[in-house]
Amino acid sequence: MTFDFVEPVVFAVLAIGVIAAGASVVLINRITAAALLMALTFLCMAGMFVLLGAETIAAFQVLIYVGAITVLILYGVMFTKYGDRPYGLFFQRQTPLAAVFVFALAVPVAIWAFTFTAPPPRPGGGDLPSLATSVFTDFSFPFEVASVLLLAAMVGAIVLTKRDEAREFEARRP
Amino acid sequence: MVPLGAYIAVSAALFFIGCAGVLVRRNAVVILMCVELMLNAANLALVAFSRRYGAVDERGSVFVIFVFVIAAAEVAVGLAIVLSAYRNRPVVDVDEIRAMKG
Repeated sequence: MTFDFVEPVVFAVLAIGVIAAGASVVLINRITAAALLMALTFLCMAGMFVLLGAETIAAFQVLIYVGAITVLILYGVMFTKYGDRPYGLFFQRQTPLAAVFVFALAVPVAIWAFTFTAPPPRPGGGDLPSLATSVFTDFSFPFEVASVLLLAAMVGAIVLTKRDEAREFEARRP
Repeated sequence: MVPLGAYIAVSAALFFIGCAGVLVRRNAVVILMCVELMLNAANLALVAFSRRYGAVDERGSVFVIFVFVIAAAEVAVGLAIVLSAYRNRPVVDVDEIRAMKG
């Protein structure tokens, strides 16, 4: 007895998880639930990376997306407290036009996507050695630039959200 | 053995879900979430091609790491902009933020 059927079954479960949770992020009214469903999407995506044999990317995905970015988004939800809206109110006015446009574009692309085929995969062994070799030889300069970008984003976020205490005090004074 | 086309189809589906979310939702935080979904869909396509097609060095996966960095920077700065707009006037709907309109 072979276990060849396990991989397609796991893939189907993960694909349903990714697409259903992603669609609920767009359609659900409660914004906290949307943020947690986004985390579920990212988690299912990490499972797909494991299925593809990219364990290191899957670990980064769990650490950065499921950990850091979800927490940031939840903080954003917490700071912008805004009551539940009636269901008709949380879509933009251009919704029908946008839905038709996206659907018309999505169906041919999704059908076209199935035409890709690939040679049989190389024997496994993880992606860490090749990844590390690439990052620290050919891509070492972009790697350093990425760290500068993160520093700039951090400073920018602090400057944007910093309160001008003296001016607020002046404004409050009668 | 799952064919490569199935991964690409899931990636395309998630990308268009995120695209629809950016176009139709009003809440700025949800729009940021949908941008993250689109970035992640692109990551799936990159990893799938890199693992199945790629040469021995996984260039596509290296690109995914840079996408992670960009995504973290983007969500930090995006939330900072949303919060500073929210502090001026407690509104998070993108069609009601008109402070910079002439």
